[in-house]
Amino acid sequence: MKRIIILASTLILGLSGFVLSEITEEGVKYQESEEAGGLEIIYTKPVKGVLFSHKLHVKELGLPCESCHTAIFEMEAFKSQRNPDFIMDSLYKGKYCGACHNGQTAFASNTKCATCHVGVKGLERLKKKAQVLEKK
Amino acid sequence: MERKNNPVVQGVISKEEFTQNWLQFLTEFLSGSKGFYILLILSGLIVFISAMFGVNAIYVGYSHVYGIYREIPWGILISGYVFFVVISTGLSIISSIGHVFGVKSLIPIGKRAVYLSIVTLFAGFMVIFFDVENPFRMAIWNALSPNLTSNIWWMGTLYGISLIFMIFEFLLILLSKHRYATIFGFLTLISKVLAISNLGAVFGMLYGRDFWYGPFIPIYLIASAISSGSTAIIFFTYLGYRIRNERLDKSMELALQVVGKLWALSLAILIFIVFWKIITGLVGSEAQRLAIRELMFGKYAPNFWFFEIFLGLITPFFLLFVSKFRNLNQMFAASLLSFIGIFIMRFDMVVIGQIVYHFFEYKVTDFPVILTYKPTLHEIMLIIGACAFCVFSFLIGEKVFKGHHTEIH
Amino acid sequence: MNWKEFFKNLKTEEQGCVPDETRREFLKIGLIITGVAAGGSLLNVVSVVAEGLATSEELSKEYPYKPHYSMVFRVDRCIDCERCVEACRQTNNVPEYGWRTKILERVDTKAVDQQRQFMPILCNHCNNPPCVRACPTQATYKDKQTGIVKMASYKCIGCKSCMSACPYDARYFNEEKRAIDKCDFCWESRLSKGMKNTACAEACPAGVRIFGDLSDPNSEVYKIVHQMGKAVWVLKPETGAKPNVFYTIG
Ligand code: HEC
Ligand code: HEC
Ligand code: HEC
Repeated sequence: MKRIIILASTLILGLSGFVLSEITEEGVKYQESEEAGGLEIIYTKPVKGVLFSHKLHVKELGLPCESCHTAIFEMEAFKSQRNPDFIMDSLYKGKYCGACHNGQTAFASNTKCATCHVGVKGLERLKKKAQVLEKK
Repeated sequence: MERKNNPVVQGVISKEEFTQNWLQFLTEFLSGSKGFYILLILSGLIVFISAMFGVNAIYVGYSHVYGIYREIPWGILISGYVFFVVISTGLSIISSIGHVFGVKSLIPIGKRAVYLSIVTLFAGFMVIFFDVENPFRMAIWNALSPNLTSNIWWMGTLYGISLIFMIFEFLLILLSKHRYATIFGFLTLISKVLAISNLGAVFGMLYGRDFWYGPFIPIYLIASAISSGSTAIIFFTYLGYRIRNERLDKSMELALQVVGKLWALSLAILIFIVFWKIITGLVGSEAQRLAIRELMFGKYAPNFWFFEIFLGLITPFFLLFVSKFRNLNQMFAASLLSFIGIFIMRFDMVVIGQIVYHFFEYKVTDFPVILTYKPTLHEIMLIIGACAFCVFSFLIGEKVFKGHHTEIH
Repeated sequence: MNWKEFFKNLKTEEQGCVPDETRREFLKIGLIITGVAAGGSLLNVVSVVAEGLATSEELSKEYPYKPHYSMVFRVDRCIDCERCVEACRQTNNVPEYGWRTKILERVDTKAVDQQRQFMPILCNHCNNPPCVRACPTQATYKDKQTGIVKMASYKCIGCKSCMSACPYDARYFNEEKRAIDKCDFCWESRLSKGMKNTACAEACPAGVRIFGDLSDPNSEVYKIVHQMGKAVWVLKPETGAKPNVFYTIG
């Protein structure tokens, strides 16, 4: 079943070639093109401007969907943001991004703060980018 | 002070004589040619229009209509202020050589120079009035809460005082009280020289700004003052005689020759100073290097090479020698070009000092390394208005004071 | 700034030409670490500070202000969530068009690994403040007790000299107050009412901003500034303004 969902979404996201972008209260998500390899998701809560990039993790690093979906993350943007424990402490304990960003699989969550965090400036910048894509 | 020195009150001259004088001024004023009045009305109109711009700026708020902003808080209005007060200082210096230090050959230009010095200083004050956000608070707190380490305080206060001195000086010259006029001329000179050095220090003492910091600007400005003063004298004397349709007499011709030579000398000194400022700046701190590079090779290169160097320094220097200090038409042309060059010099001096972003070395994305400043219509109109005011007052002065003729005693 | 302070400042600036013995003495004085000494290599500063440290009591006595307010940024922890900026706006009524504190984004595409860093800035409350010297009417002044560079708004004539004097871009013209406005370490809005922390430091979720009394050896700022393990630096030390805002890592 999981396989099928993943396959389906791969088809939708990866192959069908629609450009998607959405700016909501919760954050921003956008996809540049079908080749991009997936959604870019920018969280705004609890703090503004955390970027998760499918493009980076899937396309460039080649991580399989299964490494995240759906054991760590649901296939629904901002789902985890709605949980009250979507904070750094959980990451340090190995939840969410911290599952890999623990210093072994990937750089630890308590280092390089400004790589995941693009901040208000990054948020605004990516918002603009998403808006441009939305118009297309 | 006013009471004591007022010649009317003191009975130095009778009341009748005084009113007679004024009547004479009035009839003289009404005797101009058509061209004169056209010019007068035109310049008056420009003053009026730019005053409207100024009023609008006050109403809307300066920050909304001026091109200055947080990172570049001083713009073309400050440049304009520097432009006018440096001319004013130069006029005082040169006129005082004649009627304070008694160099006879320079006496003929004295009266006009003092008059124009008042006018240009006033124009400077008008410009700064529209730059300072709370000019009325300035009047109060400059007196009640002076900061003696502040060069701005000294500069403003000294220029204020010198304006009063100059007005007395001029009145006394008009009344032919030459001994008293000399005293006031001397006081004017001292206050003006101190004021301009403080004006330079306003920039030179800012140790957060590498391009300005140091003794360069006070020295540069005093040399500039002599140059600008000579420019103004040649420019306006020539025009004055043109307007009144008179021929220069021998003594005036001689005086202009002397001014021309002084001017050439000051230009040579200026070229020297600017040369070394640039050379030393090119090897200085990174901030200063960036500023000077922007001035010489960046967006400001046309300003620098064409206006500052070519129009402001080289061409006048060259023209002066070609004219052999005799050909007035050539000297006038030199002064006209040099006026343009000088204004751009002031503009560059003020703007380049702020053009490098404060945190340029940190690779900040929020601001470029080199900031930009573009004067807005309001700012430009105010400058044009102040220039028109000078022309307007000059025209009136020529008529009312009958060409500022001075009798040599 | 009055004349006495003026000459005092001159004296501290002269340390370049004093003999070694006196120089040692000078190093003991906390004043000079606040900027001047940071002119050299960064590591150097810290070790110099530690070396010159006689007893902490002596050091604290030498700070010119009590409390000597100061802020330290653990700059690498900043994530530009701008809660500090928001808090500052609300606490001090900072309008949209201005700021008292700001986060700058530094990007170095040639850097190895991490290529972005956020750098908070605010008024450095310099010991030798160029703005205070420039102000014609003493509308901005160095508070004698706390060392905070404050504004007496009613005296401000709006000549903007302090803005061009400031090496840190810390000042802006506030149209509502018709005066220059700047960070006062929340003196007016909080400290004077007995609170101990600034709004920005309190709002920071990442522990970037640490505010305290640099003359108190038990304060966190003191401990961060006076240690050898990590580099501590100030911005633009070459201006000689001797800032009281420090930056460090971690
Ligand atoms: C490195 C971890 C990771 C990998 C690998 C990954 N994803 Fe995701 N995916 C996420 C995260 C995080 C979210 C957002 C979930 C949330 O916010 O709670 C997400 C959300 C989604 C969503 C929901 C988007 C929406 O608009 O709601 C889809 C669809 C998705 N991923 C598909 C994929 C597919 C297909 C692959 C494999 C090609 C994949 N993901 C690989 C982390 C990953
Ligand atoms: C499946 C494991 C995994 C998960 C879950 C995961 N990442 Fe990563 N991430 C990686 C790996 C592997 C790298 C590349 C290795 C490295 O840079 O250390 C990486 C790199 C990154 C980078 C790029 C760093 C750079 O140098 O540019 C960012 C940003 C990032 N991750 C953010 C996130 C965020 C935010 C989340 C949670 C929403 C997340 N990651 C979840 C595995 C993961
Ligand atoms: C692997 C990516 C990643 C790294 C590295 C990272 N964070 Fe986060 N951070 C997140 C995510 C995801 C959230 C939750 C989403 C949000 O707040 O938008 C978050 C939330 C936060 C929050 C708000 C929630 C809380 O815990 O209070 C703070 C503060 C924070 N991060 C600080 C830091 C600091 C400081 C560092 C560096 C020491 C850091 N982060 C490094 C991903 C990261």
